[in-house]
Amino acid sequence: MSHVTCIEFISFLDAYVDEELDAGTRATFDLHLLICPSCRAYLASYRETIDLVRGVAEKEEELAHDAPAELIDAVKHVKR
Amino acid sequence: MPGLAVAIAETRYAEDMQPSDSARPDERQLIERLRAGEETAFEQLVDDHAAPLLAVTRRILRDEEEARDAVQEAFVAAFRKIGEFQSESRVSTWLHRIAVNCALMKLRVRARRRERDVDDLLPQFDADGHQQHSSATWKESVEDVLQREQSRALVRECIDRLPESYRVVLVLRDIEQLSPEVVAEKLQITRDNLKVKLHRARQALRTLLDPYMRGAM
Repeated sequence: MSHVTCIEFISFLDAYVDEELDAGTRATFDLHLLICPSCRAYLASYRETIDLVRGVAEKEEELAHDAPAELIDAVKHVKR
Repeated sequence: MPGLAVAIAETRYAEDMQPSDSARPDERQLIERLRAGEETAFEQLVDDHAAPLLAVTRRILRDEEEARDAVQEAFVAAFRKIGEFQSESRVSTWLHRIAVNCALMKLRVRARRRERDVDDLLPQFDADGHQQHSSATWKESVEDVLQREQSRALVRECIDRLPESYRVVLVLRDIEQLSPEVVAEKLQITRDNLKVKLHRARQALRTLLDPYMRGAM
């Protein structure tokens, strides 16, 4: 692959982010990034999307209160 | 109540074991007490793990009642199979997988709705392969966005707007961080299909977040 367009870059973006591309293909993708500000912005926001998903879940878990007492009681009751 | 989800969680838990993720000494002791049928050990297990398991089932189901039922079913499945628990696994990992199974079973038995696809939320391209609408850098850092409750709620709202099958893939892979093999098996799809679905889910969510993030929430 000597040249990629935005559609190819974005179609295989997950493979690029997950570092699944071979060295040659990755270099071609890197070249596209150098000349395409729109794909650079897309790549950054794609990564930030993943970080936001994880971050929100972590924050929710951090702020979560204890499990409701009635649930704890119900589980213990079922066991008995 | 115990049912199909419990049965499936019971049969599947063994394949979810993570050999490299072994039980700590205090956990081994707890397991021994559980196997001996000590009531206080069961109570400790529930007290220690109910909250994190509820967080997992809430993320998958987005329905409080179903999420609580799934936790209850997960504990029932775990109680029944405690004799087969292998100490190569952490208790939390083992319970996490059982809870995921119970939650996924509930998703499957939900009335099958006609699910819209995410095509409209994917980037569009010109005939020459360039992006039809240029992407712009987001204004604020992820860390700053996560600091504000209102912004986190907005991100959560966008995640919940994804069609269920896409949302679940995103939750299992990007939040629960289960391996592609495990997720593909649980969702009964191929690994290739999973990969495509995850990429589409992330792109769709990115599109939903874009207007807020460009202007900074």
